Amino acid sequence: MDIPVSRDTVTIDESVHKIYKDLTDGTDPVTVPFKTMKDVFLWAAILGYKRGERRPISGKKITIFRWAQFSSQTDIPVVKAVSLADGDDINVLLSQDEMLNVLEEFANSGIHELRSSLLDEQGQPLFNLVKII
Amino acid sequence: MKLERITIENFRQYCGKQRVDFAKDEQKRVTVIHGINGAGKTSFFLSINWCLYGTSVENIKIIDNVGELMSKEAVSRAAIGETVRTSVDLSFLHNGERYQIKRMLQGVKLIDGTVKVEENDSFSMMRTRADGQAERINNPIGTMNSILPANVREYFLFDGEKIDNFAKPEAAKQVKQAIYLVLKLEILERSRRHLEAVAVEYRKELKNKSGQQLRDLLEEEEKARTEIQKSKDRIYAVHQEIDSAEQKIADIDKRLREMENTNILQQQRDRIERELKQRRTELEEIVNTVQGLATSGYFVVAEGAIKKAILLLEEKRARGEIPSDFRQQFIKDLINKMVCVCGRPFDDGSEEHRTLLAKVSHGLPDALQDEVLNTCAVLQAFEQRTEKHRADVDSAMRRRAELVDIIRALDAELDDLSRQLKGSPLEEISKLERNRENFKADVREYNFEVVILHTRIDELNKKIVELKKEVDRARREEKREVLLSTKLDLAQRAADAIGEMYQSFADEMREKIQDKTKEIFKKLVWKESHFQDVKLGPDFNLEVIDRYGYSARPELSAGERQVLSLSFIMAMSRISDEEAPLVMDTPFGRLSSHHRNAIAEHLPMLASQLILFVTDEELRDEARQNMESRIGAEYRLEFSSKTSCTEIVEVK
Amino acid sequence: MQKERLMNLFETFDPAVKNIILGVLDIEQEHISMERPRVKEHIDEIVTAAAKKEVEKLEAEERP
Repeated sequence: MDIPVSRDTVTIDESVHKIYKDLTDGTDPVTVPFKTMKDVFLWAAILGYKRGERRPISGKKITIFRWAQFSSQTDIPVVKAVSLADGDDINVLLSQDEMLNVLEEFANSGIHELRSSLLDEQGQPLFNLVKII
Repeated sequence: MKLERITIENFRQYCGKQRVDFAKDEQKRVTVIHGINGAGKTSFFLSINWCLYGTSVENIKIIDNVGELMSKEAVSRAAIGETVRTSVDLSFLHNGERYQIKRMLQGVKLIDGTVKVEENDSFSMMRTRADGQAERINNPIGTMNSILPANVREYFLFDGEKIDNFAKPEAAKQVKQAIYLVLKLEILERSRRHLEAVAVEYRKELKNKSGQQLRDLLEEEEKARTEIQKSKDRIYAVHQEIDSAEQKIADIDKRLREMENTNILQQQRDRIERELKQRRTELEEIVNTVQGLATSGYFVVAEGAIKKAILLLEEKRARGEIPSDFRQQFIKDLINKMVCVCGRPFDDGSEEHRTLLAKVSHGLPDALQDEVLNTCAVLQAFEQRTEKHRADVDSAMRRRAELVDIIRALDAELDDLSRQLKGSPLEEISKLERNRENFKADVREYNFEVVILHTRIDELNKKIVELKKEVDRARREEKREVLLSTKLDLAQRAADAIGEMYQSFADEMREKIQDKTKEIFKKLVWKESHFQDVKLGPDFNLEVIDRYGYSARPELSAGERQVLSLSFIMAMSRISDEEAPLVMDTPFGRLSSHHRNAIAEHLPMLASQLILFVTDEELRDEARQNMESRIGAEYRLEFSSKTSCTEIVEVK
Repeated sequence: MQKERLMNLFETFDPAVKNIILGVLDIEQEHISMERPRVKEHIDEIVTAAAKKEVEKLEAEERP
């Protein structure tokens, strides 16, 4: 597949880095539901897509993981689906850069909702997450 | 500095190129240039100044009117539009090296006969290296400052008109300045002053720092580490306690198992506790499973996006933009071969041709096609996966809820058992059970404490990482501080050292000048019996003292005042380290013949090279004779009223 | 004679101080014709270079 590749780093805004850390830093699965940044990111992106709001990264960018960590069975198809659903242009499939952009901006807007759904609501964060499914 | 040769071109009344070679021998060191008034002595003198320093250096004005520099004759001879050039070329020796300076001014002759002079002159300075190669000097002002600074020049390139400046009563300031400059006292003074200023700034900067910071940070780090160690020790101790408590519980259990009244209950209890343990492990596992399913379950929530994406891809397919049967390349080949899919050849413009062309032009690049087809297929599989995933999550959560209930029931059973045992009429049994309960409570508390301690340790570790960063920062600050305080120390010491040198130097210099001036003055002035002393006080007033001990200055004749001034100049010239030629413009003009003769006799010895511009009146008879053996070159300036030009003629 | 005495006095100073003095005198001579010379930066450079050497010397001495 000759999709032109320019960058393979996935970045977030410096100001939300703490949220990512809060959701992954710890050993108890019930209070700290996520094991990897990638999972947090994808969840945030989906929630952002559902809100319909893309928020460009305005501050300093922090790399939290690389494209290579996406699973080809699940993660990448979802990334493609969101990119397609957002712009209606199938050419986006040819640009990894563009797809990353879309996902990053959705994640930037959805991360706040993710945090409040899990941590601000009553109940344990893990089970709050289950509720969303 | 010893002048070698000067070439003057179109400078004031000097038309064309004219040259003078200066005398520079040890023995014959005097160059005499004669000319009647107006012949061009002053212009010549000016040309040397202009060449060395230009029209002004920093704020020092060397020449007043630039426009007047160009030779009028040269201008009038030039054709309209022609460039007129004025230049002075000077070569001199200094410290064994030969230097060459050229300053040039250009202008274009205008229709109205005037010349439009360029604003800036061009200046170049070269030095001849030991190997004979000429080397351009890039810092001419700095270099001239180390040879003969502009503000010192007037003590060497000496304008005879100003001859009695230093003897005037109000000349103290000038005298001081002269001494400072010529004798480098000024340099010492400036050095000291500037170093002092620099030290003051360092001191100010230093005040704003605090070395305390580093110590505090290190203390904090230590405290954190100590606390971590304490916590670790406590954790260890608590584990011991837990072990001991559990041992006691085990002992009690054993006892209860053995006792007839209680062994059944205890066995029951054993069984329930075993199952409880198992269930708890199961619960942990199921929670992990839920975690895995939950975190990876985002795609379930992405249902909407997936559906929309599938629609989009299908749409593209349906519109014929993606030939689902065959590839673009295939179609292109076909067209080239003009053979239809089924193998029949077809003509250009035929129906098949057009259909195929449409498919090619609507089709997408191969890479994109692959993408679309693959993605579409994968996404379509998601619907099934979504359902399954949801089902898995549901079942895991249900199992979890089940386990929670089971565990709760088991716990309730245990409580019940315990109550039974506690309520036993047999004192021993009830006591054992109560103790057991207490130990169990203790264990719970200890475990809780351990968790808190671990959390505290984590926090402290994080804090230490932060502190380390700050310690590094503070260490770097300290290094800078050490450097700064060393700088302060050195700068202050250097300033003080110069102050010391200066003190001892200044006084001695003043005295030396005083003595030398007196010596020369005596030689030159015949009325010496009237004068007792020449004094140059700390206030830098040049005084002549008569034999009554009073200041004799009011009584000095004009000529004597001039000689005093001259004596001072010459004293400085002797004492200073500068080797510079003494260039004098009509120095004898206003002196009596006696003074002239005396000066003519002594003057040559007072400078390493002497260049005199004189009128015939000035250097005659005895004066001339006194100087004769020293004269190494002689020229005459001849002015022609016809051409308004002066010609320099060598006198053999 | 005066020069000798001056030289003797000069020799009594620390080598670092001597170097600074020589450097500064040089700079001042180059700028002597200016009324308000801009020598502060040059002087700071000279002092900083000498101070760095001193600090290095001290550090080398402290190392076992």
